Amino acid sequence: MKLIALLLLAFSLSYSSVVTDYLNTLASEAKRVSSDFKIFDKERGKNLFVSKHIGKKGKLVSCVSCHTNNFSQRGEHILTGKIIEPLSPRVNPERLSELRTIKKWLKRNFKDVYRREGTALEKGDVLTYIISKD
Amino acid sequence: MKKFIFTSILLGISLFASDYKDTKSYSSQNDLYVKECASCHMGFQAEFLPKRSWNKIMDSLDNHFGVDATFDKNDENAIRKHLLKNASDSKRVYREIRVFSDSISKYSTPLSISKIPKFKKEHREVPKRAIIQKELKSISNCMACHTDAKDALYNERNILIPNFGRWND
Repeated sequence: MKLIALLLLAFSLSYSSVVTDYLNTLASEAKRVSSDFKIFDKERGKNLFVSKHIGKKGKLVSCVSCHTNNFSQRGEHILTGKIIEPLSPRVNPERLSELRTIKKWLKRNFKDVYRREGTALEKGDVLTYIISKD
Repeated sequence: MKKFIFTSILLGISLFASDYKDTKSYSSQNDLYVKECASCHMGFQAEFLPKRSWNKIMDSLDNHFGVDATFDKNDENAIRKHLLKNASDSKRVYREIRVFSDSISKYSTPLSISKIPKFKKEHREVPKRAIIQKELKSISNCMACHTDAKDALYNERNILIPNFGRWND
């Protein structure tokens, strides 16, 4: 039991360090763009996540359209039907565990929903929202 | 100064080490193809399409059938290399895949396997209701019926349509 607890602890630390490191990078980028920047905000992140925009295919979509707003649940891509594993690292240990994957999908999905790449501020906010729900 | 040099050496080693690990985790380009492409759809065999098709597909990853499918540029190049090396007009291709790729006119550049003339002909009798059911979703979901599609086995013995059964011509 103790061993499991230790392993879990080690795991949660390793996942969070990838995200924390990336959030720090994003924070310094955001600071460079605007000196007014203080911290990332999960409420702004939530707004980015749930608000609807005319996406790449001319359809009104939000992140919720494919991911749902329940991060312990699977989602389904509205265009391709691909099953999307839960966003929550607690439920889905692979989630947010690899920097290149986090960057890749943030870039792609901003382009799919917002038709442009997200700014450092936006990426940080939305990531903060995702981990705040865990 | 000594301390500075020591730190930069350490930093250099750690940077090199992380880079090394990254490329080592997928030892061949095929692994990379599976990782980057087959995480969303089947890893379609490169042998189905000619070089000009793969080039066009790789040139338009920012709008890949309606979604952004771009990834690391170095990885994109490695995958393009893998696809071009194994394209239908790069080497000898066998069996069903050969029959399909041979039916492509040299004046056309199909962007999906389902646009190949022989593909269309072979699938025209499959009932629409079999294709749109949730177990399939789309005609591009090879593995739903061709149970060994991953291993490039497309003959009739390896067909099982969900809720419809075996397929006999």
